[in-house]
Amino acid sequence: MSASSSRAIQVLTHSPGTMIGVVLVMLHLAVAVFAPLLIPYGETQLVGAPLLAPGHPDFLLGTDAIGRDYFSRLLMGGRTSITVAMVGVLGAVLFATLIGVSAAYIGGLYDDVVMRIVDTKLSMPGILFVSLFVIGFGRSVVVLTIVIGISYFPGAVRTIRAQALTQVPLDYVKAARLRGESALSVILRELTPNVAEVVVVEFAIRTSSAILIVSALSFLGLGISPPTPDWGLMVSESVNQIYAAPWLVLLPAAFISSLVVGLNFASDGLANALGLDAARGLHRS
Amino acid sequence: MLRAMLRRLMLSVLIIFLVAVFVFLATEVLPGDALDVYLSEDDVAAMSAEDIEKKRRELGLDVPAPVRFFTWFGKAIVGDFGTTIVDDIPVTEIIVNPLLNSLLLGGVITAITIPVAFLIGAGAGYWRGRRPDAVISTASIIGYSIPDFVIGMVLIIVFAVWIPLFPAVITIFNDAPASALLAVSLLPAATVIIGHVAHLSRLLRAGFIEAMNSDYVERARLSGIPEFRIVLRHVLPASVIPTLNAMALYAAGVLSGLIVVEKVFGYPGLGVELIKAVDTREVHVVQAIAFLGAVLVVFMNLLADLAIIALDPRVRSHVSQQ
Repeated sequence: MSASSSRAIQVLTHSPGTMIGVVLVMLHLAVAVFAPLLIPYGETQLVGAPLLAPGHPDFLLGTDAIGRDYFSRLLMGGRTSITVAMVGVLGAVLFATLIGVSAAYIGGLYDDVVMRIVDTKLSMPGILFVSLFVIGFGRSVVVLTIVIGISYFPGAVRTIRAQALTQVPLDYVKAARLRGESALSVILRELTPNVAEVVVVEFAIRTSSAILIVSALSFLGLGISPPTPDWGLMVSESVNQIYAAPWLVLLPAAFISSLVVGLNFASDGLANALGLDAARGLHRS
Repeated sequence: MLRAMLRRLMLSVLIIFLVAVFVFLATEVLPGDALDVYLSEDDVAAMSAEDIEKKRRELGLDVPAPVRFFTWFGKAIVGDFGTTIVDDIPVTEIIVNPLLNSLLLGGVITAITIPVAFLIGAGAGYWRGRRPDAVISTASIIGYSIPDFVIGMVLIIVFAVWIPLFPAVITIFNDAPASALLAVSLLPAATVIIGHVAHLSRLLRAGFIEAMNSDYVERARLSGIPEFRIVLRHVLPASVIPTLNAMALYAAGVLSGLIVVEKVFGYPGLGVELIKAVDTREVHVVQAIAFLGAVLVVFMNLLADLAIIALDPRVRSHVSQQ
C-alpha cells in the first residue's frame, strides 16, 4: 500500500494534466471552504444597481439581474453542490464497498439479488431516476443528497464487486478461512483493504459525475433552490440576459466547468497511477 | 447459444418488472400518502375531510398499494399510463409526439456520434501512449467534463447572440413535421455530440487496446503480416465485442442525456415534457416517461448482449455454464 501510494504521488506529479487537475481541485476546494471569509458582500443581499458590468470599482464581477454582487455569488456558488455530491457519493461508495465485497465473497442467492437490484437502477439513468424522487419527496438539500447517494450506489457496487471477485480465489483469502476467520472478518479485514484503491478511484470519478448531475438538476429547476447561489442555477437564472449580459452565463459556466475538468484530470491521473482503467467505470449521467 | 439468449431475455423481462416496481414505489408508496404527491399542500389544506376522502376514491387511492401496482403495471405494459390529474387527458396522447421527437434527435446524434467516436477511439488506441493518444485523451476528458448546459449556452451565445446564425430559442410545436424538427436540431445535436463523442471514444479506446493486446492479433503480428493489414483484418474484428460493451454503456445515457439539452434549446421532446410534468406534479406523466426511458435502456442493453453472445464463443460457453 505504501509503495503504491508513493508511486501514486510520483505519477500525480509527473503528468502535467494530472498536476493541473490537482491544482484546480485544490483551488476550488479552498475557495469553497473559505468563501464566507473572502466575499465582500452577502451572497443573497441586494447591494447595487442591477446588471452592472464586470470591472466596476465596487463590484469586481458586476451585479446580477436584481443587483446582488456576482463575485460573492460565484465564490459561494459551489459550496452546496460540492457538499451534496461529496457527502452523497461518500455514503454510496462506503455502503457499496460493504455490499459489493460481501456479494463477491458470499455469492449465491444474496449475490443474485444484489446484482438484480443494481441492474434495475442502472436501467434508469441520471435525471430520470432523480425526477421520480423529486416528485415523490419534494426538493430539499437533504433529499438531493440521499438521492445522489442512491444513484451512485449500484454502479459502485458493480465495480467494487468485480474487483473483489478477482481477490476471492487468492491464497490469502483461503488462508484466512482455514485459520477460522468468520465471513465478516474475511470481508472487512482481508478483502476490503485489498479493494481500497478501487474504492478511492470510484469516489473520485463518481464525485465529479455527481457534481455534473447536481448542477444539471439545478439548471433544470429540480436541484438546489433559489436564493441559494449555485452555478447551475445561476446559468439558468441568467438565460434571459444572454443578449445584454452574456457574462452572467459565462462566469458560472466557467466555474463549474473548471471544477469538473480538474476533478476528471485528477481522477484519471489517480486511476493511471494505481494501474486502473478510469474509462471503465465512467458514466456521464 | 439459444439457451444463453433465452436466459438473457428472461433477465430483461425481470428487470423491466423490477423497474416498474421501483417507479411505483418511489412515486406512490415511499412518500407516505400518495395524495400528497398528487395534490399540492395548498390544495389539501383548502379541502374538507370529506372532499379529501372523495378525491382519494376518485383517484383510486383507497385500494391497497399492491393491488394498485398490478393494475397500474398491467395497463403500463400495453402502453396505458392513465390520464393527467388536472385535465384528464390520456398520458399516452401527451407523450407520444415528444417521444418521437426525442427519438429523432437521439437518432441523429447517435448516427453521427458512433462513427466519429469509433475513428477517434481507434486512433487513440492505435497510437496509445504516443502524442496523438495524449492529445485525444486530454481533449476527451475536457469534452466529457463540461456540462451539457454549458456547451449549449456557449453555442447559443456564439451562434445566436454574437454571430446571429440561429434563433436563441426554438419555437416549434411538438407535432411539427420531422423536416422542421431536423432544421432546428443542429445546435442541440452539436451540443450533445461533443460530450458523447468524448465519452464513447474513450470507452472504445479501451476496447481497441484490448483487441490490440489479444493473442489473436499477437499471432498475426508474429507471422509477419503488415501492420495496416493487421489493423484492418484482425484488430477491427477483434474489437467488435469490447465495442459492443461500450455501446451498451453508451446507449444507457442517450435518452437521459437529451433532457438538459432539450431544456436549453426548447426542443419539444420528452425531456421538456418530463420537467414540465415534475413542476406541475403530473405523477402519471413522470411515471410513464421514467418507465419508458428505462425500458429503452433495457432493450438496448439486451440487443448488445445478444449480439455479444452470438459473436463471442467465450461468453457463449460462460453464460450457458452459469
